[in-house]
Amino acid sequence: MAVCCGVVPHLELALHPGLAGRPVVVGDSAAEHVLACSPEAAAAGVHPGHTLRQAEALCPAATVCEPDPAVTARLGERLAAALYDLAPAVEVRLDGRAWLDLEGLPRPGSAIREARRRLLAATAADPRLGLAPGPFAAWLAALRARPGRLLEVSDARAFLAPLPAFALDLEPEHLERLYLLGLHTLGAVAAIGPRRLESQLGRPGREAVLLARGDEPRPLAAWRPPVVTGTRRRLEPPVEDREALLFIARALASDLAAELGLRGAGAKRVRLRLGVEGSAEPEQRESLLRHPLSSTTELFGLLGSWLRDWQPAAGVTEMTIELPVLEAAGRRQLRLWMGGDGSAEEVTAALERLQERHGEEVALRARAALPESPIPTQRYALDPL
Amino acid sequence: MQTENDLQRALQTIQVRFGDQALVRATRLPTAEPWPTGQAAVDRLSGTGGLPRGRVSVLQGAPTSGKLSLGLDLLARASREFAQVVVIDPGGGFDPWALAPMGAELLTLAVVRPPSPAATGEAAVALARAGAGFLLLLGEPPEPAVAALESAAARSGCAVLAVAEAPGRPLAHASSLTLACERSGWLIERRLLVGLRARLACVKNKLAAPGAGAELEVRWPLGARLSSGRPVREQVEVGAGAEVEEAGWRSAAG
Repeated sequence: MAVCCGVVPHLELALHPGLAGRPVVVGDSAAEHVLACSPEAAAAGVHPGHTLRQAEALCPAATVCEPDPAVTARLGERLAAALYDLAPAVEVRLDGRAWLDLEGLPRPGSAIREARRRLLAATAADPRLGLAPGPFAAWLAALRARPGRLLEVSDARAFLAPLPAFALDLEPEHLERLYLLGLHTLGAVAAIGPRRLESQLGRPGREAVLLARGDEPRPLAAWRPPVVTGTRRRLEPPVEDREALLFIARALASDLAAELGLRGAGAKRVRLRLGVEGSAEPEQRESLLRHPLSSTTELFGLLGSWLRDWQPAAGVTEMTIELPVLEAAGRRQLRLWMGGDGSAEEVTAALERLQERHGEEVALRARAALPESPIPTQRYALDPL
Repeated sequence: MQTENDLQRALQTIQVRFGDQALVRATRLPTAEPWPTGQAAVDRLSGTGGLPRGRVSVLQGAPTSGKLSLGLDLLARASREFAQVVVIDPGGGFDPWALAPMGAELLTLAVVRPPSPAATGEAAVALARAGAGFLLLLGEPPEPAVAALESAAARSGCAVLAVAEAPGRPLAHASSLTLACERSGWLIERRLLVGLRARLACVKNKLAAPGAGAELEVRWPLGARLSSGRPVREQVEVGAGAEVEEAGWRSAAG
């Protein structure tokens, strides 16, 4: 097993790129504790878990920001989606840790370089990278690497042995118990039997021993793309011009196609909603497709045909495109023979769209019925596709 | 410098709005790849060895001049070579029986019968954009769709062939290769009208020199002719005699 871990600051901090390089504390004013802090604030002694009052006392110059869990979760999803195609299993946590299982990859170095580039692009922070046989060791290795550099660990147990036992992801009371037991380093934890520590701490104790030994009992919780996607654009002021609506639809279709391409998915159902001025209920159109759409051309072909006929009751205030049913489209290799031919699926999809708009009888396939019949109309039949 | 930046911004805006293919540097324009039709006359008159792919071509001529026969012959050949060929038939007069003697592969052929001129344009553009190998348009697309059809074909590499009596200015302008058919006489054997002779002339060619001509002989499927292969020929004058080549067949409507 080979796992790469990239460590960036907590994703809450990535929501405030304007404060980069300054001491920042993200704290929930209701719970009054620090959720995340920038490296500058950490240098002043602030740590997650401190109360806001403690943080203020330790670092008076720090800017305190309210957390935004919904936006942070979306950022995490985007980050996972960005890393998704680099490795068979990817896990991203909101505290700024991202793991890639590189086992079996023919060129793991390329994946690591690309992961670094994408993490940097998404969070504006150069990640620290660690490569080890398991996620825990890779994470601790990354914490000890310089930003933008990779620390590679081949013998996890030897690497972990001198590290403090507080590196284990345990409850505070469990960590205190370890300290009271005299287990100050991971090497000391690894030296005792799993059952002995389990008798002291319960199941977390057993896992702690295995982690300290580099046995990595927990596999990565691989991120899977959601089966639904969509995008939305608010329009201020309301738009009435059809060309402008088409332009916006093309841009949104392009975004969705990029996302679908990344996931290797295609849309089986497409829904377009237009929010109109003075109406609480959006106008909507929806279609179930026989062949999944995945390219900008395909998506915009459908959306554009709807919009060209659409007569919104008033100016459009919001455009929403939803793809509520996705299916794997990795087997599709559109334009494989491009340069003239071979895109039979796209042509079939275009014919189906024509049928949806103008009726079944618009696209027909010829079939020999009674070729020898003396009556010309009986010789061949034209059936709807 | 300011002008250059403004120009660059304008180019980016166009590309964002209409796609990367909307504006391409001349040096990056793809050359028109010819599709050899197997019709010696057409391949020779095109000057490139076949119908240009990614371009719009036009077969024009008066009724009973042989243009539809030639178009159907090309369609039959395309149906055997491409994965998807489409005939757009706004008038509803297309009869698959007409393709039978030419050995068309009906499984790859789709017939589109749009209910209105606007739908004709929409279908032509959508199918050309989707990448149909060969698109035969029986009639003329409406003016607003012509430019879109040209660009859609260029993007996908689809060979578009429009068959029209007298193409309007938009289609004539968009055409890269225009071949005009003119009947020069009837073929009468044993006091039976069995076909016609037509003159095919290249009246417009954006890819090679226009002006060349050829003689076609078109025979109708009468009796045993129906299943006897390709009974229409091109006549090429060689010295004092006449060499006859197998070339194609026509339908009664051509």
